[in-house]
Amino acid sequence: MKHSIRALLVLSISLTGLSGESLSNTSQTLNAKIELGRRLFYDADLSINGTMSCATCHEQRRSFTDGNSAHPGALGDQGKRNVPGLANVGLHKNLTWGHNHLSGLAEQALAPIRGTDPIEMGMNGYENEITKRLSQNGCYQKLFSLAFSDQKGAINLSTVTLALESFEKTLISNNSLYDQKMRAKQPLPTKEAREGKKLFFGGAKCNTCHSAPLFSDDDFHQIQPKNQTPNPRFKDYGLSDVTGDMKDKNVFRTPSLRNAALTSPYWHDGSAKTLDDAIRKHDLKINQSMNAKDIQKIIAFINTLTDNDFVTNPNFSKPKVECPY
Amino acid sequence: MKSVLVVLLLVTGLFAKEAVLPTELMAWKTLSFVNTAKSANELSDASLDLNKASYVGLINTPKIQYVTRPTNEGGTVSYGGLFQIEIKESGTYRVILGNASWIELVKEGKSAKSVAHAQGPENSGIRKMVDYLLESGIYTLQLSAGADTTTAVLVTKIK
Repeated sequence: MKHSIRALLVLSISLTGLSGESLSNTSQTLNAKIELGRRLFYDADLSINGTMSCATCHEQRRSFTDGNSAHPGALGDQGKRNVPGLANVGLHKNLTWGHNHLSGLAEQALAPIRGTDPIEMGMNGYENEITKRLSQNGCYQKLFSLAFSDQKGAINLSTVTLALESFEKTLISNNSLYDQKMRAKQPLPTKEAREGKKLFFGGAKCNTCHSAPLFSDDDFHQIQPKNQTPNPRFKDYGLSDVTGDMKDKNVFRTPSLRNAALTSPYWHDGSAKTLDDAIRKHDLKINQSMNAKDIQKIIAFINTLTDNDFVTNPNFSKPKVECPY
Repeated sequence: MKSVLVVLLLVTGLFAKEAVLPTELMAWKTLSFVNTAKSANELSDASLDLNKASYVGLINTPKIQYVTRPTNEGGTVSYGGLFQIEIKESGTYRVILGNASWIELVKEGKSAKSVAHAQGPENSGIRKMVDYLLESGIYTLQLSAGADTTTAVLVTKIK
């Protein structure tokens, strides 16, 4: 966490070439934005009836997923897609399962907050209610003033989503067993995981799309099983629902496999209950030639991508009630 | 007009599907009113009985002092409440709820970990069911982050 904040600061400093005093202010502003974003992430007042925060679906212990195929919205509407994990989400160019032109995490946050397909947090048309609720809280008044002094501490949907983006960018996962062994230039500890790694980067060609270090190429692919039963809950054609281009039909973004052992169920609709199911579900020739032992080896390797520091990092957990400022 | 509406309601009632409830949920059909506590001090007046379904009011979240901070504590416009229940023997217990409030069972400051989650049978009015492995003792049942001002709750032993 410290490293990620420092990296963000270094990045902003190197880009702007600010003076010493300004640097200190920049650091304070960024820290305030991150703290504010974290507080908002866990605040159910961002939903219409106060029942749902970002963290309701993005639970830290599950690498910020929730263990359901799809999560119902605050008003009981059925969920459409499986909750994606947030490990390293700030490093991805494309966000969500099927969108290729979101400007960043701030814009993405609008989908759960006020989206209507499906309704998640249910704030469409009630955006001013967010301002009203948060403005009544003295701690938020201080945090918004510190984080958005350039906007006179404005509390509105724009500053809320920018703060959420700042927090989400700190969600760096890079200390799995795999990362530790790679840094130390040591082999993975079990034979099964070593053989799985060899398959993953070799014969099974998993890394073609699940490319290291993110274990996602951040791109879109069509790997849906042919003639699959349509999802009875929703028609979901992935990227083509956004682009309108039929060549993008049933095309979805490659999910990262970091912490995948903690993020079941899998697939954009949560239809694969286990990693075994998910691997077998890829409609690829290579999968049809893999036997059960190979798949178990690949799963053993994927298990080494679990970063326990990430899912227990206190900087990502629900903040204390007391105001930090 | 009113009489037409009454007839319609009666007809709807006659033909409404009644849920078929398994034996362990039969108590859900009979509700009795139980007070809701806003804090630990009021818990003695908000006791639930095992195997008896209760109709309870819920309180605006900012007015509640939870025994332990709920994982999902709800926003300022949500509702919740506190209750106590005595568990006389260890086993698997199910908390059955008429709405989607977050459920926590707390004993000596620690929340019991849930072991299973499910939705209720169709047309039963049961929104969620959560199972816990519990030791004997007095537990505080915390409901939080609810959307409604009332709900029904039943705690029953299943194993």
